[in-house]
Amino acid sequence: MTDDTNASTTRRGVMKGVGGLAALSMSGATISDAQAAIDGAVPTDPHTRDTYRAIVDAIVPRTPELEDELGPEHVPGGLDVELEKFLIWDFNHFQEIRSEMVADGDLLSGDQKMPRDMFEFDLDATDTDALDALMDLADLDLLDDDLDEQALQNHLTFGPVNRYKVNFENLDTSTKGAARFERFVKTDDEEYHRVLQNYPYASMFTFVFDLVAAEFLAKGNNEDDPAANEEFPGGGTFTRLSREDRLRCLWTIVDGGAVDRLDDLLSPMVTDVGILKYVVMACNGLHGFGYYTEWSGYGETKTNTPNERVMQVDESEVQSRQQSGYPGPADGYAADWRHAVDGGFDDPDVEDLDLSGDLTGDDVVVGGDN
Amino acid sequence: MDDPDVVVIGAGGDGPAAATRLARQHGLDVLVLEAGAWHGNQKWPQPHADSGGTVSTDPDDLDGKLMDDQITHREADSGDPTAGYLRVGPADHSRAPWFRDLHQNAFIWQVSAVGGTTTHYFGNHPRAYPYAIDEQDHWPDEVSYEDLVPYYQLNEEVTSTQQAPMTAREEVFIEGAKNAGYDMLDSLNVTETGWRPQANAVEVPGRETSNGEPLDSDYDGSFSYDDGFRGDTLVGDHFQGASTPVDAPVREKSRKSSNVGWVPRGLDTNENDDMGNVAVRPNTFVTNINTDDSLGGSEATGVDIRDTWSGDTDTIEADTVVLAAGCIESPRLWLNSGLPDDGWVGKGLTTHWFDWVVGVYDDETVESINPEVKHMDPYVGQNSAVRFDKPGVGGLEDIGMSPGLVSYADYLFTEAGYSFDTPVDPDEPWDTRGYVVGKELKRKMSNYRQTKAILVLTDDLPHQDNGVSLSDNFSDEHGAVPDVRYSPHEEDDRRRDELARIAANIHNEAGASHVHRSEWPPLLLHMQSSMRMGKVLDFAGEAYNVDRLFVADHSALSNGVGGPTPTPARRTRSASPTTWATGTSADSRPSTRAASPPFQFQGASSKST
Repeated sequence: MTDDTNASTTRRGVMKGVGGLAALSMSGATISDAQAAIDGAVPTDPHTRDTYRAIVDAIVPRTPELEDELGPEHVPGGLDVELEKFLIWDFNHFQEIRSEMVADGDLLSGDQKMPRDMFEFDLDATDTDALDALMDLADLDLLDDDLDEQALQNHLTFGPVNRYKVNFENLDTSTKGAARFERFVKTDDEEYHRVLQNYPYASMFTFVFDLVAAEFLAKGNNEDDPAANEEFPGGGTFTRLSREDRLRCLWTIVDGGAVDRLDDLLSPMVTDVGILKYVVMACNGLHGFGYYTEWSGYGETKTNTPNERVMQVDESEVQSRQQSGYPGPADGYAADWRHAVDGGFDDPDVEDLDLSGDLTGDDVVVGGDN
Repeated sequence: MDDPDVVVIGAGGDGPAAATRLARQHGLDVLVLEAGAWHGNQKWPQPHADSGGTVSTDPDDLDGKLMDDQITHREADSGDPTAGYLRVGPADHSRAPWFRDLHQNAFIWQVSAVGGTTTHYFGNHPRAYPYAIDEQDHWPDEVSYEDLVPYYQLNEEVTSTQQAPMTAREEVFIEGAKNAGYDMLDSLNVTETGWRPQANAVEVPGRETSNGEPLDSDYDGSFSYDDGFRGDTLVGDHFQGASTPVDAPVREKSRKSSNVGWVPRGLDTNENDDMGNVAVRPNTFVTNINTDDSLGGSEATGVDIRDTWSGDTDTIEADTVVLAAGCIESPRLWLNSGLPDDGWVGKGLTTHWFDWVVGVYDDETVESINPEVKHMDPYVGQNSAVRFDKPGVGGLEDIGMSPGLVSYADYLFTEAGYSFDTPVDPDEPWDTRGYVVGKELKRKMSNYRQTKAILVLTDDLPHQDNGVSLSDNFSDEHGAVPDVRYSPHEEDDRRRDELARIAANIHNEAGASHVHRSEWPPLLLHMQSSMRMGKVLDFAGEAYNVDRLFVADHSALSNGVGGPTPTPARRTRSASPTTWATGTSADSRPSTRAASPPFQFQGASSKST
């Protein structure tokens, strides 16, 4: 379904692998398992990968400081099992776009067709800075009064990315079926090209996060100074924030009015910016569905389609299960139990039902639309 | 089934009960259309990889061992909302789930499958509070609590509903509730404040065992049905699909979700000449409700369908159409069909305005309550086996789950922000609130086996500004996608805050070492009331504006039934509206539609007070 190109083993990749090896050796996996995990292609571009790695690192970090307190199995974090792949896979499987539902035109019209340009995007910052490129796309000469253009310009960077482009691949609206998308990411010296069956939200959201991070810094909402983070060299503004500031920044989308202030700039990227609040919910929650389930035990099959995933590690042995003590699914448990109500509930026939005259409980608050 | 009397849209929690009643009691031929997959049916040996058969009418098609293979009990396999086999989406797992236009920090938890969202459910089966039926303006006067009781009793019988088992986790909750001064309730008809075991649609644990010994901590026998084990196996796997006991036939699985409790009973009608027939067709999305408007009014005549694998479309005609697609898809289909909307279609959505209050306990505390064990082990027992009720405000449920769900629900789903930045009022009974991340998250999850949560279920009330409309932006192969919104109102917040404080007090009274309030944003589960009786529907469940079109799912409820899990009401409603609509005897066919009395309950029809 997908192709990736230009996957090269970088020094950082190897270093990450070493960390992974340490974790895997603790979880009882073999060296060959670990090597397979290291060699597995990261199915995206560096900007996308490192932005999600920065989120994983903020929510489930490596914690060497917990070794003395809780034991060595509590040291590895989400990056050691490549949890960023879980987030990227989920967002890239967020929405299928059907060819037959796309047409040239405006927003959802009477025939329920979606406009083609809602899903096509070309951000070219090759000869300009990132903010100017965004303003060009949004057809803006001036920003809203709430936004400090100079400050935004100073802070906004998409890291090494100077062009990001998404378009339909051979769209034929006369045929039915899932549309395919081409995604290009160009850095100074590499180009990443991928074809995906669903709209590539994962990458698109990372540019949103950089813009929101730039506004977060422009407004002085950061508590720590931003700095280039050598762990995430492919990332932009967002990855330059400290761990806690990354999360504070995401929260401005939900509860800080960021998407309202940035609406004009975001609109070419995300038609309905309100869904970004849902996306922040998911960025946090996916750590539960990914890290703390058995997902990492799928090994190199973990980003396959669900039917092609195969457990490669005993479910009680995956990293997070060792950290939680959950033994994994079972057919049954021998455990002591009792019934609390001897003889069962009191349940008279209707004719013997004797409800009290006043059923209203205490502290009742009246409301609602009748 | 080429010429059904009735088409039921949706084989989730409600549709199979309605279909079964129509065939068994009224002799009608019913075709149930389900958008999602069917697990544990030989006609679909690989329900997520291959289109399989078309329709099933034979109870022998049901295969419990096949269900065991398909329901792996794993968390990510089942519950991942994107990749899990229990999700809202096409059965074909190479495709994305169905998209919803959701503009807020919120999460919708639904399942498209035969059994619907009851494939996830904990089996909790409490009745509505009588107060919510008899004493609220939000419930129509025409139906009293006493009217509902016979339907509750029927459903409790069909689903083996009985009091849930108390294990180590429940003992801690009970200790806290007693210390907080609450009494035990021993009634199914709750009119007072107190705690009680859940009434669960799960068979008694170890009803029979493989070696004849009781199921307790000394039991060392098999849990396989083939080896003689019957009943609940005390694994908290209900959110993963609960295919236990392993090897059991589908109808003998211990938890009676709709696909276990009602679907086999529906298919059994095909082997009885005195009854109508039930056919269930999965992988079939209804895209339009057809009507005949030639005589002035509007009358339902059938539906347009689309096969989710092939994309093939077809039209099915029927005398009567019953919508049971749930609180989101029922109004979405209505609106995409261009049926009349006078302001309440899709509106008034309630969802129990949940919250979640977490207690972490040290070993000594648990040991002092349960001398035999040190851990509560939230994965042992039933997912929720004890509850607290406060009619007029809502309720609480003690919850134990597997760690992926626990990490999400306890620490990674909130509207309060990150706990490192979120102050706690020193007068409140919790120690922290909001997202827990980083080192602290790992510390908390390292205490998973000593952690339990209490779910807050608020008696939230219907408001016209909450609900489902059609998206202005997005469409899919079934039309404009649902645009879903839910915001609590001030009175809902007040009720929720009170219940959260009670939950925290119960933890504190049981000796919790740390209490955390998650302060959830809207979790759209337990959805009710988006196609309300009295607004969109009459008291027979028939649409005011479209004859022969009925709604028989939770969207028909006039309110959230007070806060108890809606399951019994759902099934009661699903058994009853069409009963009212089609009369109460087998010879009362839809052709003699109940134009006469608006409802025909057997039994009392006046309010109890």
